[in-house]
Amino acid sequence: MEISYNWLRELTDVSLPPRELAERLTMAGLAVDAVREAGEDFVLEFDLTSNRPDCLSHLGIAREAAALAGVGVRLPELTAKNVAGRAEEFTSVEIEDARLCPRYAARVVRGVKVAPSPEWLARRLQAIGQRPINNVADITNFVLHELGQPLHAFDLAKLTERRIVVRRARAGERIRTLDGAERELDTQMLVIADAARAVAVAGVMGGEETEISVATTDVLVESAYFDPQSVRRTSKALGLQTDASYRFERGVDYEGVRRAQDRSVALICEIAGGAATVDAIDVYPRRIEPPVVHLRPSRVEELTGLQVPAGESARILESLGFTPVAAGDDAEGKLFFSAPTWRTDVSIEEDLVEEVARLVGYEKIGESLPPSPVTGEYLAGDRRRRAARQVLTACGLSEAVNISFIDESNEGRFELLPGLQRVEGEGAFVKLSNPVVEGARLMRPTLLPGLLDSVRHNFNRGTRSVRLFETGRVFASSAEGDETASGEVETASDDIGKTAAGEGGGRPNEVEAFALVLTGEALEEGRAGGRELDFFDLKGALEAATDAMRVGELQFAPAAVRHLREGQSARILFGGAEVGALGRLDEDLAAAYKFRQPVYVAEVNLGALLAAGERPVRYAPLPRFPSVVRDVSLLAPRRAAFSEMRRAILSLGLEECRGVSLVDVYEGANVPEGKRSLTLRVEYRADDRTLRDEEVDSMHARVVAALEDKFGAQLRG
Amino acid sequence: MSSEVAGYRAQADSIREAFERKFERFARFLNKRINGENVVDVTEFNLSLEEAQAELRALSDLETWYVGRKSQLSALKKLIGKVSPEERSGFGQYLLLTQIAGTDKIAEVESNLQSYIWKKRSERERVDVTLPGRRPRRGHLHPITQLRQRIEDIFVSMGYAVEDGPEVETDFYNFTALNIPELHPARSPQDTFYTTGGLSLRSQTSTVQVHAMQRRRPPLRVIAPGRVFRRDTPDATHNPMFFQVEGLLVERGVQMGHLKGTLSEFVRRLFGAGTRTRFRPSYFPFTEPSMEADYSCFKCNGAGCRLCKGSGWIELGGSGMVHPNVLRAARINPDEFSGFAFGLGIDRMCGLMYELDDIRLLFENDVRFLEQF
Ligand SMILES: [Zn+2]
Repeated sequence: MEISYNWLRELTDVSLPPRELAERLTMAGLAVDAVREAGEDFVLEFDLTSNRPDCLSHLGIAREAAALAGVGVRLPELTAKNVAGRAEEFTSVEIEDARLCPRYAARVVRGVKVAPSPEWLARRLQAIGQRPINNVADITNFVLHELGQPLHAFDLAKLTERRIVVRRARAGERIRTLDGAERELDTQMLVIADAARAVAVAGVMGGEETEISVATTDVLVESAYFDPQSVRRTSKALGLQTDASYRFERGVDYEGVRRAQDRSVALICEIAGGAATVDAIDVYPRRIEPPVVHLRPSRVEELTGLQVPAGESARILESLGFTPVAAGDDAEGKLFFSAPTWRTDVSIEEDLVEEVARLVGYEKIGESLPPSPVTGEYLAGDRRRRAARQVLTACGLSEAVNISFIDESNEGRFELLPGLQRVEGEGAFVKLSNPVVEGARLMRPTLLPGLLDSVRHNFNRGTRSVRLFETGRVFASSAEGDETASGEVETASDDIGKTAAGEGGGRPNEVEAFALVLTGEALEEGRAGGRELDFFDLKGALEAATDAMRVGELQFAPAAVRHLREGQSARILFGGAEVGALGRLDEDLAAAYKFRQPVYVAEVNLGALLAAGERPVRYAPLPRFPSVVRDVSLLAPRRAAFSEMRRAILSLGLEECRGVSLVDVYEGANVPEGKRSLTLRVEYRADDRTLRDEEVDSMHARVVAALEDKFGAQLRG
Repeated sequence: MSSEVAGYRAQADSIREAFERKFERFARFLNKRINGENVVDVTEFNLSLEEAQAELRALSDLETWYVGRKSQLSALKKLIGKVSPEERSGFGQYLLLTQIAGTDKIAEVESNLQSYIWKKRSERERVDVTLPGRRPRRGHLHPITQLRQRIEDIFVSMGYAVEDGPEVETDFYNFTALNIPELHPARSPQDTFYTTGGLSLRSQTSTVQVHAMQRRRPPLRVIAPGRVFRRDTPDATHNPMFFQVEGLLVERGVQMGHLKGTLSEFVRRLFGAGTRTRFRPSYFPFTEPSMEADYSCFKCNGAGCRLCKGSGWIELGGSGMVHPNVLRAARINPDEFSGFAFGLGIDRMCGLMYELDDIRLLFENDVRFLEQF
């Protein structure tokens, strides 16, 4: 909103220069974004908070400036020069819906001459960015910006039966508004009508048919108070926001209705000539009483730390227009104030405390840290989350953050984390009813679509090696009476939802998930051309992360997974329970994303891993005797899993057999179809002596025999 | 001198002469005496590494020939015991001198050749230390995570507990409990996302206020970082999702001076000890009195620049004393406890700190972007 400095000075004696005034107002809560020089004048650009509609005018700002500077406010001339007759002789007003229109005043000026505005008036309006039209229209606009009350001028002769009816629009009723648009109204909307039809959308915009024109001689000036919510609804429904609706929907001064009307009528008589009626028809069936609010003077210090004597608090409030109200016998030291009728934002004691504090100045509040009766703590599991992130970045993965809603087309393409999966089906997912991006309605039940979109984004920009991870919530509807899915984000709502249904009920499952995506080469800084990443880079990164979180060992079981390629996919098991899946992206999905190179993805229920607790650290004494290793090279069927072989060796019951590791695996030339060559290294060690060669030989022979036996493996030379 | 000994000495002399002849090829590896000082410039040797190693082996052979166990000189030494006692010492001495005359030279050449070989080998094994280190390309934490962790660290050290709440919320927590009236524009589907089930995506982390007060009773201090959603069409300065941190403190006797002190301490820890703050009255439905906090621009230190639009100040966020209606919604008596709350925008701070020209970059996950942090 724009305020002219010169105009402001007509309403108050504030003598502060414009920039200083702007600074003072800003620090009192009326933020001035900019001060602009405009010829001999200055324009202050305000960015006001929504609770201060009373400041949407020069008078409003003048009141604040005057209170800050300790000076008075001067109201403009309200008396019409030339009066004749009573309003009821020329028109009538009937309010059909007093809830939507608590007050409506009409006053008439007869014999005006519509013409361009005098220069001073045009200049005032131009200074604040308004376009002059004609003297009568400009005067109503001028008074809106001067006093904050929107007005409307009708050509009285064009009102059927020259009367006003304030009513709701009839079904299908139409009106052509001043902007030339033909608008269809609904029965919720309040209109100003004459005997026959709607002639204005109440509080929003007037109609074209009763507009002031050069031919107009008799003017009906409307000044009213409309229900703010009704105006907001109408304005929104019509997609029509005006200076009037902006003010009505925030709340105007219901006691300022007549003053603004008188001001405009006085100006019309002065500028456009004519004679005003001596009075107005003012329909105001139920007087609105401003709230009386109490203030315990000690409350100011309790809430702000400012020591303000009771008398000073009262003085400040009175300077802002609050009226002291005599306290009853049970006042207990409380002061009582009636709020100014323009201050629709004030209703409780804390509001008065703020008024006192902002006039004293927030800068006067002394700073200190509150003494601490409590200790700080991180979110449960956060140390482990951070450890995992750290390790993943060390492994070369960067952290991605994707938007929580994804395109609906992703529904059903991915196998979800266990616990989300089981409620899959109609209504299983959380969907937005009002997406802002076309199609992006699905609250993501998996992190993978977002990460794959990120991969595609990078491919499209020429980056073919992409390694990303993401942590975040995934969503699925919770079935009625459903048990909390394991790993579900723990929140206060868990306790509340059960005790106070309606406050927390019906929320979906929010599960904390963790996902990885890898594709391209293993890069080294400053060097080009690295090894192509594969399944085992993905698995290794995942294991490194879970190890950093001190989660116990994960198991990987080959399995068919909807979004993964057969033969390169596995379910991830932890403590016997399924916690996710990993593998190479399925061909169909890859094709849909137009990926021409293998992409590896993993997704895990992070909440479940964290809930399982931390693997304890236990010290084991260092071996005192050296270990001996023996390698065994085998030709084994491809289906014989390494993990099975390892388990077979370790379960032979050889006390001194300490571990099995992989040396090499090879398939291809010189290896028969369906087989692979595998070299394992077995470690032997005793706690109480150095093992003799013969002892190791005999143990190793059993190991080899077991492998040959169980897996049909053949020893290679 | 007995003729026997004289003969032995003559034998020794001829062995030494033979040594000298054999040694001639190595003479060039000896030190030179210049101005009374022993000097050697091994670079003049002019041999390849392999040739130098061959020379060293030849030298070792010569040493064996001259003083080895099976050498003629060793054979002569065995005769010392057979010489008469009166001549024994003189003869022994003679043989020793003969031996030393050779071994000294051998040692000198060996040392010189050895250092030549080291030099040659070092030369051959020289690496270009400016080649790129074998440095696996590391990943980077998202800038929002990095800033969020710094903020968490600061507040945890000031006694705050990190809290969390649902992202899909009920009307009660998203609006009603926060004193946002029934017909407030923030509730409209223009501004807030709704699910088909009638829930909303939380439009501010303030939702965690009431959850936290219900879960922990006062005295309490919590911060709640997280995602929030507003129905903004994505453009260079808007995303429909962003990150906030909500702070809440409810204790006895808390007032605005504590809020000011807390926010000032926070910005000093985040942006440096010299950072100043400014507090202005403002309006939020869930606080009363309310205030807006500004901090002095970290780029121009308050002088005014493009980043702070010339004002020298940057908006930190909204704050204020918790509205009594909000305390009541959590069944806390506003006459017994007071509290303050504040909200900070992590993305917005990130955008300013790194001067991002397009905020959408934050969620595109372009690795060229992520690797800059
Ligand atoms: Zn700056």
